[in-house]
Amino acid sequence: MTGTDSHRGRRIVVAFVLMLGFAVVIFRLFTLQVLQAAELTVKAERQHRKAVTVEGERGTIYDRHGKVLAINVDVPSVFGVPSSLENPSGVARDLARVLHVRADEIEKKLKQERSFVWIARKLDPEQGRRLEGMSLEGIGTVMEGRRFYPKGPLLSHVLGFAGMDGQGLEGIERRYEPYLRGEKQIVVLQRDALGRTVFPKGLDEQGPAAGHSVMLTIDEVIQYMAEKELEEAVTATGAKGGVVVVMEPRTGAILAMAVNPRFDPNAVRAISADRWRNRALTDAYEPGSTMKVFVAAAALEEKVMTPGTLVYVENGQMVVANTVIHDHEKAGWMTFAQVIQRSSNIGSVKTAMALGEDRVYRYLRAFGFGERTEIDLPGEGAGLVKEPQDWGSRSLSSIAIGQEIGVSAVQLATALSAVANGGWLMKPYIVSEVRDAKGRVVMQAGPQVRRRPVSPETALTLTGILEGVVAHGTGSKAAVPGYRVAGKTGTAQKIDPQTGAYSASLFVGSFVGFVPAEDPRMAIVVVIDEPQTEAWGGVVAAPVFQRIAEQALPYLGVSPHQPIKLAMNATGGVLQRP
Amino acid sequence: MSRRSIGASTLALPWPSSGERGRRTGVDGSVLAVTVVLALIGLVMVFSASAVVAGNRFHDSIYFLKRQLAWLLFGFLLLQVVSRLDYTVWRRMALPILGLTAVLLVLVLIPSLGVVAKGARRWLRLGLVSVQPAEMVKLVVVIYLAAYLTKKAEMVREFGAGLLPPLIIVGVLAGLVLLQPDLGTVVVIGLVTFGLLFLGGARLSHLLGLVLAALPLGAMLILESPYRRLRLMTFLAPWKDPADAGFQVTQSFLAFGSGGLFGVGLGEGKQKLFFLPEAHTDFVLALVGEELGLAGTTAIMVLYAVLVLKGFQIAGRAREPFGRHLALGIALLIGVQVLINAGVVTGLLPTKGLTLPLVSYGGSSLLVSLVAIGILLSVSRDRQGGRASSGYGRGIGAR
Repeated sequence: MTGTDSHRGRRIVVAFVLMLGFAVVIFRLFTLQVLQAAELTVKAERQHRKAVTVEGERGTIYDRHGKVLAINVDVPSVFGVPSSLENPSGVARDLARVLHVRADEIEKKLKQERSFVWIARKLDPEQGRRLEGMSLEGIGTVMEGRRFYPKGPLLSHVLGFAGMDGQGLEGIERRYEPYLRGEKQIVVLQRDALGRTVFPKGLDEQGPAAGHSVMLTIDEVIQYMAEKELEEAVTATGAKGGVVVVMEPRTGAILAMAVNPRFDPNAVRAISADRWRNRALTDAYEPGSTMKVFVAAAALEEKVMTPGTLVYVENGQMVVANTVIHDHEKAGWMTFAQVIQRSSNIGSVKTAMALGEDRVYRYLRAFGFGERTEIDLPGEGAGLVKEPQDWGSRSLSSIAIGQEIGVSAVQLATALSAVANGGWLMKPYIVSEVRDAKGRVVMQAGPQVRRRPVSPETALTLTGILEGVVAHGTGSKAAVPGYRVAGKTGTAQKIDPQTGAYSASLFVGSFVGFVPAEDPRMAIVVVIDEPQTEAWGGVVAAPVFQRIAEQALPYLGVSPHQPIKLAMNATGGVLQRP
Repeated sequence: MSRRSIGASTLALPWPSSGERGRRTGVDGSVLAVTVVLALIGLVMVFSASAVVAGNRFHDSIYFLKRQLAWLLFGFLLLQVVSRLDYTVWRRMALPILGLTAVLLVLVLIPSLGVVAKGARRWLRLGLVSVQPAEMVKLVVVIYLAAYLTKKAEMVREFGAGLLPPLIIVGVLAGLVLLQPDLGTVVVIGLVTFGLLFLGGARLSHLLGLVLAALPLGAMLILESPYRRLRLMTFLAPWKDPADAGFQVTQSFLAFGSGGLFGVGLGEGKQKLFFLPEAHTDFVLALVGEELGLAGTTAIMVLYAVLVLKGFQIAGRAREPFGRHLALGIALLIGVQVLINAGVVTGLLPTKGLTLPLVSYGGSSLLVSLVAIGILLSVSRDRQGGRASSGYGRGIGAR
């Protein structure tokens, strides 16, 4: 043990030296953090003010075939360095001539006690060139990315738009903001030899990384068709507006989403916020007779009805809970298939009564009404489906004909797709892929099943009935020569905001349908809001469906079907497949 | 990995039932506790320092946190294993490890193998991970010197036969590290070597001669290299050119100063947003200063001081001379590196690239620190004649 003690003294010395070191460090920390704290804090704050944030270019938005829908273009922004200006008012006058801004406003900016001020941002390239040519002392230009939508109003409600600092404010631009936004870099303004503050050079070479690009499921061509046909119909009928949603039934991918009236996202500041709203998913409306499709689906699935079941439709008039329900066509007996095809209110009410409140409610919820579809766009509404305990005596019959219920166009398209694809309720989606600046895939979306409200047999039978709607029912104007179309019309009275009762003059005309019926490629929902010339969905909305389908089917390469089978299905009501 | 898994691994560690008063053969509970606390502080600060940068660069704000946590869990596993080993195994292993480390140090200098970052060739890619051989060298030198001093206990007072051989071997290793170049590590190795030889009984006249010989060498190294000369100049007058060379240190000052007594709050620091370079590695103490204030920095320094004193106490109680040298070497290693890092960050010393052990981000540094503490714990089990009276009184600074 002698070895242990022999150098004990040295151990004490070394330990003491180390502890002395710790003491010195702690004392130094005390001087920095207490004695000099105030002075250093001021310096730190001044420095943070001298920093400028630079961002990588915002990502591009493409359609499904890589067509550019939103892109950044570099435009000049002009800044001033007040500390290095000798004659601010003279400079302000010169600038005012190019910028079309009042000289005293610029002068006020240039007289601030700051080392850096923006004078005007995101100018036209021509203005930038003129400013460069003037080479004013203490004034400089940098290139900044301005958001540009090359197709103008096309898809504007879906794309949304970005603000002055490149922040996404609506639509895809907002929902995919974390992806689209470029890398942020804080650049500390440097001083040159004369102590002037300058914008650092060489920003372009080592600048921050660009944002991710986003690829949509939208097909620019179909989108164009949808917007054009909707616009024409809205103009022709003198309607307030309208919505079209085109969905791929098997996947839930959105092919087109058109809202009218349109707006140009390149000039968004001049437009009221009301116009930006993507009504296809934010607004719920009373769908009217299109809802009969889903009541019918429930009845078929629950085997309450078959297409051939005879229903007595009371010669066009029936009293339910002290209210008279009318049919637009007087009849005695008709088959269940005809109830849908001729859109009999009485027949549908009787069907709903046969099902009972709980089953009707359960099936409507199963088809996704009253809940968000969770499409990847901001601002979606859930619509309104009251729970059975809140139903009044008239509710069941109202809901059966699409009243007392609020749905969005996207909900309708999704529910209709479930009928078209054999019973699968899909989660609709609009972004298929996100890639980073180097082209690597960062996120990928694909079809997602939410649930299966009805069996394939029910879906098939219902499709047969809906084909009859177009072949010889209320939806004949939706027929596309050479193709089998399944669909349903809807005409709903709007509630008059003044009286609170159903209005006799304000309507929503709609048509929902899919095509080709035997192998659906598109489910299309057309909603025309407050048409003036005609109210009927079969008259105002069905032709829009027809014209979009007529153009889009050949574009998608879908070959026409033999007309013989069309006739057979139309008469039978029960679908038979070869 | 979740937070819960840290908890689980901590619980599985060999805590003695009641600290000092535990079984005679138990490991030192307070050393382990201090280590765990420092490592957890490090984890939190690394996240705070790197979240914004990582979010921007990798679109994953927990990029660095995940990696630090993985290294931490692996490190504590190694610590567990090492603390259960009989430490005399390191005596037998000293030369083989020394040889292996020398090979790695040579490999890292080969351009096709060593990865260059920030102008120095320090990393060696091994499959998925990169390691820094220079981090290992520090611990290896301690093990080697402890073994040498145990074997040649009586010869150390002679220069040629006792002092010179280890100086040459350590000198060669230091030379290899210097070629990377990594002056910070060389300084740590030099100071630890000097300290261990002094503690091992070398003559004061010999050591004084060594210091006199090292001074011109050091001066030459500094003046030879333009960046070291620049660092020295900025150390002497940091505010003279705050935009450029003095940037790191002045930014560090600003961080400390704006923290004040209790800091601006965890996660609230502004300096880490691209102003303070290396906020998650070498300058993490400055971030602690800004966000947790003097209270936070002092607490960290006191924890390190406790760790170093416990090291000396463990050395004083060790039955084997090898254990004593080993414990002293590890205590010195931690103490010297912490003091140099803190000195650099607070502007007391010229800038050197050294991490703050256990707290800074970095796998190699963390792993080596935890293994070193594992060894220290294994020495702590070996107490001279049980606890209390005989052993306790010998501990330096325990009074």
